[in-house]
Amino acid sequence: MNIDLSEALDTKYGRSGLSCEVGPDAVELGEEHVLTIPNVPRPDKFLSDSFKGQEAEVLKFAHGTTTLAFVFKHGIIAAVDSRASMGVYIGSGTVKKIIEINPFLLGTMAGGAADCSFWERDLGRQCRLFELRNKERISVAAASKLLVNSVSRFRGMGLSMGTMIMGWDKTGPALFYVDNDGTRLKGNLFSVGSGSTFAMGVLDIGYKYDLSVEEACELGRRSIYHATHRDGASGGIINIYHVGEDGWTKISSEDSAQKHYQYKAESTEQASAPMVTS
Amino acid sequence: MMDFGTPVLEPGSANGTKQVPQFNPYQDNGGTVASIAGDDYVIVAADTRFTLGYSIPTRKISRVLKINDKVMLGTAGMQADTCALHKVISTRMRMYEHDNNKRMTFNAVSQMLSTVLYYKRFFPYYTFNIVAGLDDKGEGWVCGYDAIGSFEQRKIVCNGAGTKLMQPVFDNQVDWAQSWDGAGKPNLSLEQATDLMKDAFTSAAEREITVGDTLQIYKITKDGIQLEEFELKKD
Amino acid sequence: MSGDGCVAIASDTRLGQQYQTIAMDVPRMFKMHDRLFLGLTGLYTDTQTLYNLFKFKLSMYKMREGREISPETFANLVSSTLYEKRFGPYFTEPIVVGLDKDNKPYLCGMDLLGALACEPDFVTLGTSTEMLLGACETFYRENMNEDQLFEVVSQTLMMATDRDCLSGWGGVVHIISKEGITTKTIKTRQD
Repeated sequence: MNIDLSEALDTKYGRSGLSCEVGPDAVELGEEHVLTIPNVPRPDKFLSDSFKGQEAEVLKFAHGTTTLAFVFKHGIIAAVDSRASMGVYIGSGTVKKIIEINPFLLGTMAGGAADCSFWERDLGRQCRLFELRNKERISVAAASKLLVNSVSRFRGMGLSMGTMIMGWDKTGPALFYVDNDGTRLKGNLFSVGSGSTFAMGVLDIGYKYDLSVEEACELGRRSIYHATHRDGASGGIINIYHVGEDGWTKISSEDSAQKHYQYKAESTEQASAPMVTS
Repeated sequence: MMDFGTPVLEPGSANGTKQVPQFNPYQDNGGTVASIAGDDYVIVAADTRFTLGYSIPTRKISRVLKINDKVMLGTAGMQADTCALHKVISTRMRMYEHDNNKRMTFNAVSQMLSTVLYYKRFFPYYTFNIVAGLDDKGEGWVCGYDAIGSFEQRKIVCNGAGTKLMQPVFDNQVDWAQSWDGAGKPNLSLEQATDLMKDAFTSAAEREITVGDTLQIYKITKDGIQLEEFELKKD
Repeated sequence: MSGDGCVAIASDTRLGQQYQTIAMDVPRMFKMHDRLFLGLTGLYTDTQTLYNLFKFKLSMYKMREGREISPETFANLVSSTLYEKRFGPYFTEPIVVGLDKDNKPYLCGMDLLGALACEPDFVTLGTSTEMLLGACETFYRENMNEDQLFEVVSQTLMMATDRDCLSGWGGVVHIISKEGITTKTIKTRQD
């Protein structure tokens, strides 16, 4: 019984009866909390051994996903779907996959929902501490590095996270791809998740650096829509965010099912209109 | 029912002589929890059947924990982990009250549970939770969780063994999900929500063996919490 | 699903390979004769093979017997055909739905080896089985007329496929009654 109570009460030492240390400084989160590690010879294999074959159903809330983000003349556009699947069952169709870390930073979510939302919330905490200590906002490069450092400690332990960190700092708009292997890439255009190949196909055709904000939003929306249409694990609501000089703004939140019939109506209109050659 | 399994070779042992017995610390005790939230109420429902494989050690366990007059926690999955989790949450709730000299709000509880679950990311509580409560304005809300703390705030959530059977019905009846314009979407009263809950659990009990016996429905309103019990299939 | 003197069979229209959607106009139901339908979920190549096989077998039956096969006989035919491949089965689960000579609904589901499960009310198969089961269990009433039956069947199909990654992209409902067959397509989500 002391296992439960120590965990609840003994947060100062932050270690339950079953935890053990990983690395030289344990796995500290903030001042006093640590993550419990099972006391077995191979803690990294513990979960897959315990839930043989049904891991996806039991633990991974959001797996299938389509997310994308790209830098253009007027900042950054982030576009995502909203489906969370547990196996083939749709756990939720209304997930918010763009995480608002602070008014200048956004993170997207692909992979395990809990992993993404927990570590990006933790990143928000770290960014706030940075601001208080240094009296200035953290750069996107530094913020994404903090996130990589957090998840790198658990490399090989089965975290699942493919995220894009974006924002506007002294250097202008910046976009980074970060994943659970410890990868961190700076770039102008990323798409992550099971539907990313579909989205990337549409995105590459329409992408130009000097798009207007409206054109860029529509490009993001189109790309996600086509991914939801062809990828079984993507769907639901299409959310669009824009990052500008003054921080991010939420542009739209639309149901992909209604978008489908709207796009269909538009394309039949075009098809019946006389072809104009220039 | 603890499963010690067959001994396996420890990886990396010199010539495969050292054997380590495997131990599976998890078991599934079934059960379903569901919640419907309205403008000025929220109801939490849970069945009371406790299963172990194909047997039923008891027909009367509670899966619901009262946090305070406005917030409740419902947990399906493994019973031992449920007890452990409820104890941790109760303790943390009491510590919060002493530290801050106020009651935990719905939002505070929902975020705390997420963190508590995630701290055991590599050795999770095998539990599927919902937190239901009234917010500061008195409006009903409910959060649904996975085993490691991912959560979403919604108006209707169902979690546990009967989810697949019940959730489509709630989507249709509460969210009006199959209606294109949402026209005629009902604003369920407390009585209608309770009836819907009974119907959904009755249907689930027909087809899911770990759901049955008694349905406990807790109704949270500004006047406090009321319990109604409703009999389900016993076979 | 059965009604009063009528019976309905419905399916979604998606054909996919894992999570990738290949086609969106592929219903898995086949008309065997005016009062009999066969539904085949699962691996599509086996669906096609079995449909052709049964079409052939029914033509032979009709020629020999000079009458159409009854739903019950057909269900047993399907069952034994599947069991013939006991150790290398077709990866498909069939549903047989029809009206017998007294206009009584007959519905029967099977697993891939041909184990019959005949129900008086409703049968569900495929990737959204569980979701369909919960929905049908809640909304099914005895002795529904054709319109009520259509409403219940189409709504349950939609609410189940809306919770399933691998189903949806359109739906088709056939209602068999003594007057004939009514076919309706339903407008669903396309994600």
